[in-house]
Amino acid sequence: MLEKTGVATEQDLQKAIPSKERLAKGPVAIIECFQRIPCNPCYTSCKKGAIKEFEDINDTPEINVEICNGCAVCVSNCPGLSIVVVDETYSEQEALVKIPYEFLPLPEEGSFVTGLDREGKAVCRAKVVKVLNTKAMDRTPIVSLAVPKDLSMTVRFMKLNDIYSDNTFVCRCEELTMGELRELIRKGFNTIDEIKRISRAGMGPCQGRTCRQLIMQELAAATGAKMSEMPISTFRPPVKPIKLGTIAGGADHE
Amino acid sequence: MNNTASVVIIGGGISGCSIAYNLAKKGVKDIVVIEKKYLTSGSTGRCGAGIRMQWGTEMNCRLAKFSTEFYENANDILEYDGDIEFKQGGYLIVAATEKEDVQFRKNVALQNSLGIPTVYLTPKEAKEIIPHMDETKIISATFCQKDGHLNPFHATQAYADAAARLGVKFMKYTEVTGIKVENNKIVGVQTDKGFISAPVVVNAAGGYSKQIGDMVGADIPVYAERHQILVTEPVNPIQNPMFMSFSLNIYCQQTPHGSFIMGRGDANEPRDLRVTSSWHFLEEMAKDCCELLPLLKDIRVVRQWAGLYCMSPDRQPIYGKVDNVEGFYLATGFSGHGFMFGPVTGVVIAETILGEKSSLPIDKLGMERFAKGELLFEPSVV
Amino acid sequence: MITTELAIIGGGPAGLSAAISAASLGAKVILIDRSENLGGQLIKQTHMFFGSQKQYASIRGVDIAGILMKDLEKYQDSIEIMLDATVISVYEDGVIAVEQNEKYIKIKPQSIIVATGASEKFLTFPNNDLPGIYGAGAVQTLMNVHGVAPGKNVVMVGAGNIGLIVSYQLMQAGINVKAILDASPKIGGYLVHASKIRRMGIPILTSHTVKYAHGNNKLEKVTLCRLDEKWQQVPGSEFDIETDVLCISVGLSPLTELLWQQGCEMKYVPELGGHVPVRNDNLETSIKGIYVAGDVAGVEEASSAMVEGRLAGLCAAKALGYNSPDLEDKKNDCLEQLNSLRSGHVGEKIRSGLSKVTV
Repeated sequence: MLEKTGVATEQDLQKAIPSKERLAKGPVAIIECFQRIPCNPCYTSCKKGAIKEFEDINDTPEINVEICNGCAVCVSNCPGLSIVVVDETYSEQEALVKIPYEFLPLPEEGSFVTGLDREGKAVCRAKVVKVLNTKAMDRTPIVSLAVPKDLSMTVRFMKLNDIYSDNTFVCRCEELTMGELRELIRKGFNTIDEIKRISRAGMGPCQGRTCRQLIMQELAAATGAKMSEMPISTFRPPVKPIKLGTIAGGADHE
Repeated sequence: MNNTASVVIIGGGISGCSIAYNLAKKGVKDIVVIEKKYLTSGSTGRCGAGIRMQWGTEMNCRLAKFSTEFYENANDILEYDGDIEFKQGGYLIVAATEKEDVQFRKNVALQNSLGIPTVYLTPKEAKEIIPHMDETKIISATFCQKDGHLNPFHATQAYADAAARLGVKFMKYTEVTGIKVENNKIVGVQTDKGFISAPVVVNAAGGYSKQIGDMVGADIPVYAERHQILVTEPVNPIQNPMFMSFSLNIYCQQTPHGSFIMGRGDANEPRDLRVTSSWHFLEEMAKDCCELLPLLKDIRVVRQWAGLYCMSPDRQPIYGKVDNVEGFYLATGFSGHGFMFGPVTGVVIAETILGEKSSLPIDKLGMERFAKGELLFEPSVV
Repeated sequence: MITTELAIIGGGPAGLSAAISAASLGAKVILIDRSENLGGQLIKQTHMFFGSQKQYASIRGVDIAGILMKDLEKYQDSIEIMLDATVISVYEDGVIAVEQNEKYIKIKPQSIIVATGASEKFLTFPNNDLPGIYGAGAVQTLMNVHGVAPGKNVVMVGAGNIGLIVSYQLMQAGINVKAILDASPKIGGYLVHASKIRRMGIPILTSHTVKYAHGNNKLEKVTLCRLDEKWQQVPGSEFDIETDVLCISVGLSPLTELLWQQGCEMKYVPELGGHVPVRNDNLETSIKGIYVAGDVAGVEEASSAMVEGRLAGLCAAKALGYNSPDLEDKKNDCLEQLNSLRSGHVGEKIRSGLSKVTV
């Protein structure tokens, strides 16, 4: 629940996310502002008139996505930093997510950063395509991130250090680095099970809880495969490591 | 995809990859390996990956010795850029019954006569090798230092990489749906990705080899049986050799990586293609392990899984041709030992296909033996 | 004794706005502030403000202070500014005693606008005097005014706007915020602020409180615990977080001492942060000629403080006899803005509080 966690729920987001058809037409602003608060700069900053005039300053914004051309002026004007622009037409595999980023240093164009979701969880490696920081933006620069297309509605922030750099550990139990993982993918180990077997990643005490997602993301990034269609590795028992003696003791009492 | 091949090998486990490598090394071109999922996804990737030369039949001893000697040098021979992680920590096989003790004395004599350096040990001597063992539960033991363990994924990959360098094509995620036979001759293989015409097909499909045989009407007397296994978290090295007992129904080994791998047989396991896991196995395994090797009780299990043994009537492999289907070859019926026999399988099947003189007398392992009733029953199986 | 028409105590957003609007009508003003510069809390606010254009929405607090200061310069002939000047009391005859640079100064104004703002509330728990435990305002001053990092890791208590905003600013300054907790089951601040924080991976623990602080000579660790629906600590729910800074932002109380001294009628209104003065629509208290504006009249956002200041300035000047053709329009505009800022769901508490003290 948003009020308890600060994270918008699926239900909240339904109101904010435009149709597939609209997204297929090009960039559009996504306003994730769900609480009535006295604030209207999104409306006053929009030169296109895409945001409906506020009858009451507490109104939550209503955007006409057919008028919005994704110019992103509202993004750096929103005091709540609740607006991003998403362009799903950026490339075959990737979408562009333009986020407000008020941190120094700014990322360098062309560099890779870590894409974060609404809870700050690392979800992908993102390429910094552009950093806009004009005077009019008044120290709320806009960073354009290229992210895997199926994460266009997931990535909402970024972390400067590229946790997906080659020397980062993907699997901490078995010490597989991102570089080693990429090398395996390059060699043709193209599913998570193949990677698991050749590298032991995911076979450690954590049972793949940390690395499974990361490996799948990297596979998606490297091969263009969709996360949603990717075969997942087998979830084998036990879910949590358990002492042989504990099991043996339990068996005795039966 | 290739639509013609000289040889199609069905199965991307250790057997299929080893056969492909040996054929290619002997100059055969246009070899295709078809694998339903990915290399090692079947029994190879699920096995305990132990290697032993301590067998009860001369045939198995010789197959095992051949393979062990190959694995000792496999990194170099196959020019692998990884490591197959072969560790010769030995196998300590314990006798818990008088009958077993009698059999073991015979086995040691046989093995020694074939150049396998097995020694017969008292319980006290056995305890020196595995100090955390409860030696009161055993009568005697045999030990061969040259037995050991290796990494099945890397071993298979080493073969596959070497084969690929020699031109072998691997078709992953491709399923064989039928085999075309005309006038009792193999014509080609139908897959879900298309048809490949080929005069030679090798059935190295492990647990699925019965089904593959059925495609050409060869009634191979094998069935798939589930076997389960578990692995623990990695811990510091405390147990060098494999600990094994047939009558107590356990094998348990610490891998070079530090984790313990252990498994057991169960006459009640389902005989179908299921590879799910059961709690019965986990409990019984844990209980027996804690009794025999009490020190392991505080080590945590991280994973259990199952694979298929391809069981033959006499627990020995089935190698060679099939009557009435020219061009169809078998490398099956390993009854749980296909991985350790991988190197010899590749060599003898390649020789058979090319009509060369066999390095080992594998004519005794042909399918005909079942019709003739000439079985070579192997007594030493978990 | 210095004489003037209007003394404004406090140079924050309310006081500054009051000075400008009063001077714009012609009134002679003395603006007194205890710190070395004007702007009050505005100068620590590096975030963009909410509201509408009239309250400088989308402009950063620190820049709003700059804008107000520029406006102030237009009236430098009628406004006298006293900095580093603390009002120590307001006497029965309306005389204001000021201490400035160790000098004792008396001012006799005809009217007073009290715009003293609010002070931070604190929390009681064992060891809450350990160095490393700060109020959010102190942390903001250290960080945003003096450029000093309060520590390496911060646990923030309070998920109201201040707690959320200061957490964000700490992260901007490169300081690691480990968690934000709040005793309430719901986040009190604007949810867009909360979402902004969550995107950086900072957990917000609602229904949690501080149980102990630990450390030798300085803070090393805090023990937190969960609260049930009745706000009672759940036994066994304790857990520790290692941190060198605990930042407390559990609300503000109006700084009303001067109003009490004057004998203004006060009322306890929890929705407004504690005791606040009874006032009329012109923001005049029960004592004629004494006006209030901003947090001292009830804790709210800086946007409303500025509008209140403007309104109080207009009304005080008018009572002093100044006028202009559009005065009524200006007054009504202020009232409309205030209504609109307070009209939403978030303003519910404020509206209910104000209804108890407005006569």
